[in-house]
Amino acid sequence: MKLGKLLQVGALSVALGLAAAAASAQTLTVGVRGGPESMDPHYSALGVHADAMKHVFDTLVWSGDNLQIEPGLAESWKPLDDTTWEFKLRKGVKFHDGSDFTAEDVKFSIERIPVVTGPTTVLIYVRRVKEVVIVDPHTVHLKTDGPAATLPNDFVRLFIVSHKAAKDFSTKETAAEGFNSGKAAIGTGPYKFVSWEPKGDLVLERYDGYWRGKGPWAKVVRKEMPNDSSRLAALKSGQVDLVNYVSSADWQALKRDPKIDVSTADSVYVMNLQLDQRETTPKVYDLDGKPLAKNPFRDAKVREAIDLAIDRQTMVDVVLEGLGTPNNQLMPKDFFGWSAKVPERKPDPARAKALLAEAGYPNGFKMDLHCTSDRLPGDGAICQGLGQMFAQVGIQTNVNAISRTVYFPAQAKKEYSAFMNGWGTLTGEGSYTLAAMAHSNSPELKLGAFNRIEYANPKVDELLQAAGRELDDPKRRSLYEQAMDLIMADRAYISIVTLQTVWASAKGKLKMAPRTDEDTLAFFITPGK
Amino acid sequence: MSGYVIQRLLQAILVMIVMSVIVFVGVYAIGNPMEVLIPMDAPQDVREFIIARFGLDRPLWEQYLLFVANVAQGDFGRSFVYATPVLDLILSRLPATLELALAAVVGATLIGVPLGVWAGYRPDALSSKAIMGLSILGFSVPTFWVGLILILTFAVSLGWLPAGGRGPTVELFGVEWSFLTVEGLSHLVLPAFNLALFKLAMLIRLARAGTREVMLTDTIKFARAAGLAEGTIVRHHVLKLIAVPIVTVFGLELGSTLAFAVVTETIFSWPGLGKLIIDSITSLDRPVMVAYLILVALLFVTINLVIDLTYAALDPRISRRGAA
Repeated sequence: MKLGKLLQVGALSVALGLAAAAASAQTLTVGVRGGPESMDPHYSALGVHADAMKHVFDTLVWSGDNLQIEPGLAESWKPLDDTTWEFKLRKGVKFHDGSDFTAEDVKFSIERIPVVTGPTTVLIYVRRVKEVVIVDPHTVHLKTDGPAATLPNDFVRLFIVSHKAAKDFSTKETAAEGFNSGKAAIGTGPYKFVSWEPKGDLVLERYDGYWRGKGPWAKVVRKEMPNDSSRLAALKSGQVDLVNYVSSADWQALKRDPKIDVSTADSVYVMNLQLDQRETTPKVYDLDGKPLAKNPFRDAKVREAIDLAIDRQTMVDVVLEGLGTPNNQLMPKDFFGWSAKVPERKPDPARAKALLAEAGYPNGFKMDLHCTSDRLPGDGAICQGLGQMFAQVGIQTNVNAISRTVYFPAQAKKEYSAFMNGWGTLTGEGSYTLAAMAHSNSPELKLGAFNRIEYANPKVDELLQAAGRELDDPKRRSLYEQAMDLIMADRAYISIVTLQTVWASAKGKLKMAPRTDEDTLAFFITPGK
Repeated sequence: MSGYVIQRLLQAILVMIVMSVIVFVGVYAIGNPMEVLIPMDAPQDVREFIIARFGLDRPLWEQYLLFVANVAQGDFGRSFVYATPVLDLILSRLPATLELALAAVVGATLIGVPLGVWAGYRPDALSSKAIMGLSILGFSVPTFWVGLILILTFAVSLGWLPAGGRGPTVELFGVEWSFLTVEGLSHLVLPAFNLALFKLAMLIRLARAGTREVMLTDTIKFARAAGLAEGTIVRHHVLKLIAVPIVTVFGLELGSTLAFAVVTETIFSWPGLGKLIIDSITSLDRPVMVAYLILVALLFVTINLVIDLTYAALDPRISRRGAA
């Protein structure tokens, strides 16, 4: 009897042990299009970099599936006066090496950024911060260079490193080595760093002491596979469990594949056509090919004609094979500052031709249209589509879909007249997009840095400056909405579609909630069975 | 002879200087990498801070001189993208590419030369025609397409071999190699075959043409008249006589495969130099591009120098003419 019981207990414990082993042996292997550039979270502001870093490090402010801001390492925050924000830090959070997370780490992290940042600079997240004051171990005051209403939004990609572990690895020369070797890659995130090599695999191990709780996967491997077809082949052959950025062509076929699950989400990226507003612009011509002395895009009728020539639904259905949503403004629907008052844009080629005739171009004109072809899914194809739609109303369009490495430098030098590229509202709120694109370029005010068409509407400028000072959320939202109405009515920026992102995984292997910011975070992906 | 060597060396150095200027100016002309790298919403002051930090606010000639001065101390600069020294980055990728290139070129030679000799030896046989037909395929079908078909067939449909990546590596002489494990070999097979295909076709054609020519010479006629077995004739005479052009092509192909295995490495996610350079071009990582191109130039200048000196050793007339 006694022996029997003992055997029973033994068998039970063995069975339990096996079950535990099976569960803890769970590994998630992800094939990602792009990986981190370094293991130093303060080196790059690139989306794929932040995606990887969120596994190892935490941010003060968390951005949720739909970019709504939530408490992260900071439990709460509030503005004290026009130039001071108070952040209350979460207590009891420990780094992977067992040390406590305190205000010291926040100060250290913010202050090391100007020293270690790479060209894709993380400075943009802390540019408003003038000084970090430690009030007590769990309270910091951030002094800003003026009213900084969106500071919490800026902080969704501000990662906190351990001031003890990273102390000796915070100069330009030592940072990469210290973090890439793992010595300084000590965070408070859900996974511990095991190994990484540039453009290779990032191997992570679960951190059981994570403050949100224990993650579902014991081990996570993120394999960098930039080629779309190769990444998909790796999924189909079982080499990886999950892949991101499935192309629209593959997506159609995958939906019918019984061995694959697909999930899609609206991304933060909107494709915007931009029309140069200078007195003269270089890439517009008369029908004989001679440069036009006057810039046609300064005429509101011409801009409206161009807008009316675009059939957004066709663009989504045919060019993007369904992977997108028609859009009429610079941000995706329901973002902070998105305006319901902007009228829906419907194509009307006949009216477009009439408007062109009224504007003095009865037979149209010629122009060069420049776009990126390798930055976002479908950018080159949308460009081709636009060219054909413009041709139908009489604007003979020479389409130049080119590499972003050529496009952006030339665009910065204002060599283009009509051009299109995507813009991602990464923070989910208006100041990020509108202040950079729609405010007239003003280095003094640090506004309009990406306004490459010299668009200037004094009313818009006024609204955006007021919004930047306004610390009350509903009031600020209304100011951005008013600005958006004006900007879209001017039609110097013509938004076309919001892109969608696709993930594909082995059938039944896992469940995930697709994120708008396109991150693929292992902690929030649960095993399917 | 020593005069000739010095002359060749000076020439090689001159070529390197000219190359470095061309590379630097060429890469500079592509565009300002900061426009691609700096986040779009960065305000002017952040932009200026970053541009100055990476020394890109200085005039071109100053940047070039600074670069030359650093290279003279063995410092090729740091990657914009990875923050690590460029030389480390390139050296860490070299074994993967070396392994792939050697497997492809050696494989192509071991398979291609016998097939080519056979096709030249029996030009009218059905098997020879089949070999030649296949070699046309190898020439004309694009590498990336073959690569994708290989993945579809062997990785996706049959599931015999992995779709990409490099297997586990084993350290030998301080370098990580993957061909020493079964798993590593299974990762190596498809990309090596993909890369070898074009060279295979070329070596078949080269060996066949050589064999057909040699078979008609007096050497073979006398060897046959002397009653030597056909196998002996092929192994000892034909192979020796067609060896010179094949060795030359072998060397040059090895060099160019090392430098330009780009397509295959991209499709098979092979973490080699080709992939590094493509990634660097798409992200305008100027230090990596410049260092890579200069090292490739150095590779070819060295190969050519060695070839020139070898010729001189083989044929003294060359060095005498050169020195005169």
